[in-house]
This record gives sequence, C-alpha cells and structure tokens, in this order.
Amino acid sequence: MADLERLAVSTRPDPDLVGMLADLFEAYRSTRPAPTERVEFDPALWAHLDELGLTRLTASESSGGSGASWVEGAALLGLAAAAGAPVPLAEHGVLGAWLLEEAGLPNDGALRTVCRPDPSGRALNVTFARDAAAIVALWEDGDCWRVADVPTERTRLTERRNLAGEPCDTVQFELADLEAAPLVADTVGHQFHLRGALARSAQVCGAMERVLEVVLTHAREREQFGRPIGKFQAIQHLVADIATESSLARAATDTAVARAATTNWQDPGMLFTVGVAKSCVGHAASVVVRNAHQVLGAIGTTLEHELHVLTKPILVRRSEYGSVHEWDETLAELAASAGRDRLWPLILTGRR
Amino acid sequence: MAREPRPPVVPPVVVEGETLRRLREEVREFLAEQIEAGRFTPHVDTWLTRWDRDFTRDLAQRGWLGMVIPTEYGGQGRTYLERFVVTEELLVVGAPVAAHWVAERQIGPSLLRYGTEGQKRHFLPRISRGDIVFGIGMSEPDSGSDLASVRTRAERVDGGWRLSGTKVWTSGAHEADAFFALARSAPLDPAHRHQGLSQFIVDLHASGVEIRPIISMGGDHHFNEVHLDGVLIPDDRVLGAIGEGWQQVTSELGFERSGPERYLSTFQLLAAAAEAMEEGSLPLDPGLGRHVARVAALHQMSFAVSTALEAHADADTAAAAVKVLGTTTEGDIADYVDTLTASGWIEDEELYTLLHAAILQRPGFTLRGGTNEILRGVIARGLGLR
Ligand SMILES: Cc1cc2nc3c(=O)[nH]c(=O)nc-3n(C[C@H](O)[C@H](O)[C@H](O)COP(=O)(O)OP(=O)(O)OC[C@H]3O[C@@H](n4cnc5c(N)ncnc54)[C@H](O)[C@@H]3O)c2cc1C
Repeated sequence: MADLERLAVSTRPDPDLVGMLADLFEAYRSTRPAPTERVEFDPALWAHLDELGLTRLTASESSGGSGASWVEGAALLGLAAAAGAPVPLAEHGVLGAWLLEEAGLPNDGALRTVCRPDPSGRALNVTFARDAAAIVALWEDGDCWRVADVPTERTRLTERRNLAGEPCDTVQFELADLEAAPLVADTVGHQFHLRGALARSAQVCGAMERVLEVVLTHAREREQFGRPIGKFQAIQHLVADIATESSLARAATDTAVARAATTNWQDPGMLFTVGVAKSCVGHAASVVVRNAHQVLGAIGTTLEHELHVLTKPILVRRSEYGSVHEWDETLAELAASAGRDRLWPLILTGRR
Repeated sequence: MAREPRPPVVPPVVVEGETLRRLREEVREFLAEQIEAGRFTPHVDTWLTRWDRDFTRDLAQRGWLGMVIPTEYGGQGRTYLERFVVTEELLVVGAPVAAHWVAERQIGPSLLRYGTEGQKRHFLPRISRGDIVFGIGMSEPDSGSDLASVRTRAERVDGGWRLSGTKVWTSGAHEADAFFALARSAPLDPAHRHQGLSQFIVDLHASGVEIRPIISMGGDHHFNEVHLDGVLIPDDRVLGAIGEGWQQVTSELGFERSGPERYLSTFQLLAAAAEAMEEGSLPLDPGLGRHVARVAALHQMSFAVSTALEAHADADTAAAAVKVLGTTTEGDIADYVDTLTASGWIEDEELYTLLHAAILQRPGFTLRGGTNEILRGVIARGLGLR
C-alpha cells in the first residue's frame, strides 16, 4: 500500500466530517417543509451550520473560519445541494469570506452574499441578497480590482427569483461605496470566476448524485405491467446514463478540487482544470435532468415531488460563473493553442 | 456511528504521483524520437489495426512490456498504474501496438491468475519479450453478446482435447501465434448455461487451424474467421479448470474494459483537429472544448478504476461506466470532426486520413469487448435494478 501511495495520491475528504455532514443534511431533508414554488432562506438551518463552524469552513482560522481545505469545502457544498438546503454556503463561506480575506477586511460572520457589479454599480442575479446583512462586491475599477463589504441597507435592491425560485435579486450600489473600497491583487478577478465555477460544479455534482438515488428508488417502487419499471431495459439504460454522466462530472470536479487544494489555487493549470469540470458538469446536467424526468413520469413534474428541488438548481448552477458554452469555448481556445503535440500534456496538467 | 453515504459508482479520483510523471516523460521522449525517425506514422485505433513486431520488441527492451508480469517469469514486476501511464502515452501518439495488445492487457494477467506453473514459465517470458502474439477466441457466428451460447466443442481424447468449431471477428488472428478459445467441454444444460465451458490455449499454427480473412468496410484486414477442425489441445494447454471457463472469461473481460484504449482510439484525430483550428483550416469551435473535457475526465476516471484494481477492489460497474462513456466519446469525436469538414475537402491530407479511418473504425468502438447495451445492463445490475 505504501508503494501505491507513491504512485497515486488519494485526496478524499475527512470521512468523519463527511459522515457528520451526511447525517446532518439527511436529517434536514427528512424534516424540511414540502417544496413550494418559492425557495426561502432557512435561518434555523443556517444558525445550526454556523454553530458547527460550517458556514465558513474553508476560510482561514485567523479570519474566523474553520481553516478546512477545498476538498472538505466541496464535500459540504455537494451534500448541502443534494439536500436542496436553501443557504448561501458558496456565496457566504467560499467566495465572500475569501474576498474579504484578500482585501484584508474583517469578517464578523454575519450572513453575506457576493456579486460583481458592472461599471454603473449594478449587479444582477445576487443570490439571497435580501437575506444578507452585507454584500461583498468585487469591482473592476479600470485595470485593478476592489473589494467592498457593503451593508445591504446601503444598496437599492429589486427582488427577483431565478428559475429555481430562489431569491436572486438585482442590487444597485452607491458608486462611492465601491470606489472607496480597498484594492486587491490583480489575480482576484480571475480567481473569483474560477472559484465560483468550481463551487457551482461541486453543488451540481451533489445534486445529480441525489437525483440518481431518487430515480433508483422510483424505478424499484413504481410498478407498471405487473412489475417494477426498473425491470424494463429501456429504464435501466436511462438510469445507467444518469450514473455514468454524473460519475464523469464527479471525476472532473474532484480532480479540480484536488488540484486547487494541493496547490492553494496557485497551479497555472487551474483555468483548464476548472473548465473541464464545468464543461463535464454542464453536459452531464442535460442528460441527468432529461432522463430523471423521463423515468419519474408525470409525478416527477409536480410541485410536491422532490425532483424539481434538485433539477431546477442543477440547471441554474451549471450556467453560473460562465455558461457551458463559454467554458467550452475557453477549453477550445486552450486546446487549439496547445496544438497537436501539446494537447495531451494540457489534458494531463492543464498547463500549456 | 456516522452514516456512510452509498459508495459511488466510480471510485474517487486520485492524483498521479511523481514516479508516474517521470515514467510518462521517459516514454514520451522515446516516442518522439521514434516519430522523428519515421519509425511509425501516428494513426487512429492502432491497438487494433497496426502490428509491428519490431516496435513491440523495442518496447520490451525498454522494459515497457510484460509490465505486470513478475520478474521471475521474465516480466517487469511493476504495477498496473505504471502500465496505465505507458499505455496512455503509446495510445495518444497512435503508435503501432496491436502486436502485443491482447497479450499485455489480458493474456498475461489471465495466465498469472489461472495458468499452471509450466504455462507461466513457457508463455510469460515470451510475452514479456514481445516474441509471441495473442488473439481472442471468444465470439462465434451465432454467439456475440450471448457468449455463453458458444458451440465450439471440446471432446476428450487421450492426453488432451479436440476442438472443433468456428471463431469469428478474431482481430489479428492472421498475425497471431495463439489464442484462448472458449469452448463447450460438456453438453449444454439449458438450466445452467454457464456451466460446461472451458478455455484452451490454441496454437494457431497447429494442424486443423484455418484462418480466413474478413475484410472490413474500409478495405482493411484485421478481422478473421478461425476454423478449428479437430485441433488437438494437449492437457497442458487447458487454461485453468475444465468447466470453469465462464468465470475465467468474465474475469478476463474485466481487464479489457476500463483501460485507456476505451477513450483514446481517436486521440490523434482530436489533436489534429485542435491543430487545424489553430491554423485556421477548421473553424475554432466550442465542440472541441467539450470533447477535450470529456477525454480529460475519462482519463481521471479510468486511472481511478486502475487504482482500485491495483488495490484488488471490485470495480466491475465502474469499468463498465468507463467503457460506455469512453467508447461513445471516442466515436463522437470522429463524428464531430466530420461535421466540421466539407465534403471532398482534402487540403489537409493528414487530417483527412485520420478522419476517414476514425469514421470507418467507429462502429466497432461501442461493440467490441461487450456492447454498450450489454454494459448498461452491467451498470444497472451494479445499481441494484436487476
Ligand atoms: C472491431 C472489433 C473487434 C473485435 N475483436 C474480437 C476478437 O478479437 N475476438 C472476439 O472473440 N471477438 C471480437 N469482436 C466481437 C465482439 O466481441 C462482438 O461484436 C460483440 O460481443 C457483439 O456481438 P455481435 O457483433 O454478434 O452483436 P450481437 O450480440 O448480435 O448484437 C447486435 C445488437 O444487439 C444488441 N443486443 C444483443 N443482446 C442484447 C441484449 N441482451 N439486450 C440489449 N441489446 C442486445 C447489441 O448491443 C447490438 O446492438 C470484435 C468486434 C469488433 C467490432
């Protein structure tokens, strides 16, 4: 086994943490209110997660976080997404807390979300903005980047909802609040996009794995023509494709997470590696959502059923931090510029 | 006690260690020299269609053959993971590796598991030197996916067995020295179809063996029909136990399923397309990124399965998942590049050659080694639906 380790290094999350998270979200899932067309922030769940040090799991301990790695962070995002937990773990814990650290700003731990306002100070699709005490804004100011921590009450907020019925507001900042904000390193803008994309990939993977469970249960329990529909080969093949596509997405995402964790995002191959994850996740989502709804039949299209609690966020998140098309374009450009002889090293390392 | 979530379909990814990265560099350097020297022209699907015994022997000399065969049998005594990276590097440059493919991938490991000491001493050193070429004698005219229905008969005679029947789709039989034939050694019991099957090591130069070419739709000859007319198999060429053939052959198929040849058969075409996009002879298109991403993820998945196999973990479902996704992807790459090119377009002779070969080989990708329909059934069983 020791030999094996020199050949291949495992980067699995701490099993005790994973077990604890699985129990916690399983308990949440079995007691949560019936789904409605609107998803509301769950303050009780948030408080519970906060007590356990999970809301800022990957933030440094000196900033008030728990100092865990991205491997643990991704496991948390995935399991929370699998339970359809309406809490901004990615926005508050992964992205917001990191931006504040980059800017050297204090973090009091109150609920935050993140966004990238345009030059007029307006940001679209700001998840859970109405529930947040403050909004962390990453602002492109000419050729430099600034990070502002703006109390939500200082912004003008238009309430909106996304496809999944989640609060997804339009936020108008006072330009002065952004202009006065501290500068951060040039790389932060690019890093933010990568981290957001990978956080979304981890969430979609978790949700797709839960879809597989829901589908398997249904295929075993639902009977037609005198037997469980899972006995029909056509159904078996739909389910098999859900399993293979979500496994491919998982392999791509975990690879990117492992690389981010071991190099603290410093690996020059991160753009390609995150792109692979986002692309595989995005295309897997097409198959998983389509096949799952096909297997579930009419019941799967209803408000009361769990399926849409998973499939809608899957479609929302695969398109955030770059659409599937945009990421495919980025990868195509990297591949083309690598050319015939350097394509394989690019695939292995992400580096040109 | 914390509740463990259901084990994933595919084992968790692992990161390649330093030893493997160095090995890759070594192989890559050698291959670049070989291409430079004109030893081979990179092509698609070379593990099925390009035999070059000299090249195979050169690999043996470098220690890149018989990799998982213990040194006492003339092999390298290395791990499946080291073999994995060597295999990948050979495939991505489209090297002529068909001469040793079957022996290296499945015959060696099967002999190690089921062979007698005498068989191991005889065959393993020859495999490791690249001196013997093997084929696969499973399919028959009336037995494809339903392999247990094979009709080739093995009759007990003094000192051995006599084999009679027809094997078909035998890749490279005309280049091979031997194959493992799956045959019925006891009459079929319809209630227990998997019993009464046995595997035999057949010398393809023996009397009673007739090999006839089957020409593929592109005009190539890689398939054959192999007629066995009372071929005498001495007792010491029975593989494993008489009557255990089914169990042995399914474990052999396990070695076949999840390797890099299941997603890299058209890699040279993908790489050439990337180059053509850079040069402007093909339009830069996001589809390239999509396929590149899938190949990258498949590499990770396949490596994870190899790591599990190295640790003797059960990975049947995962291996089937790699093969379904991988063979679909490598075929889709051929079709994808085809959709970007105009008919009659021959400006880039090399790309054109690769593309046409890939299109013609593609239908076989999702058939050989167990069709994707059969494999989806394997996955469904792994998920508890069957
Ligand atoms: C390139 C290539 C190389 C090969 N090399 C070798 C070799 O070296 N040695 C060797 O022994 N064989 C070889 N084969 C044969 C290969 O193993 C068979 O082609 C394969 O097992 C399928 O058998 P078949 O072609 O008879 O198709 P069939 O089994 O007749 O299948 C035809 C179609 O029916 C489907 N089907 C069959 N049964 C089911 C079912 N239960 N449920 C759903 N669908 C089903 C199949 O998926 C397929 O789509 C090779 C094949 C190819 C294409």
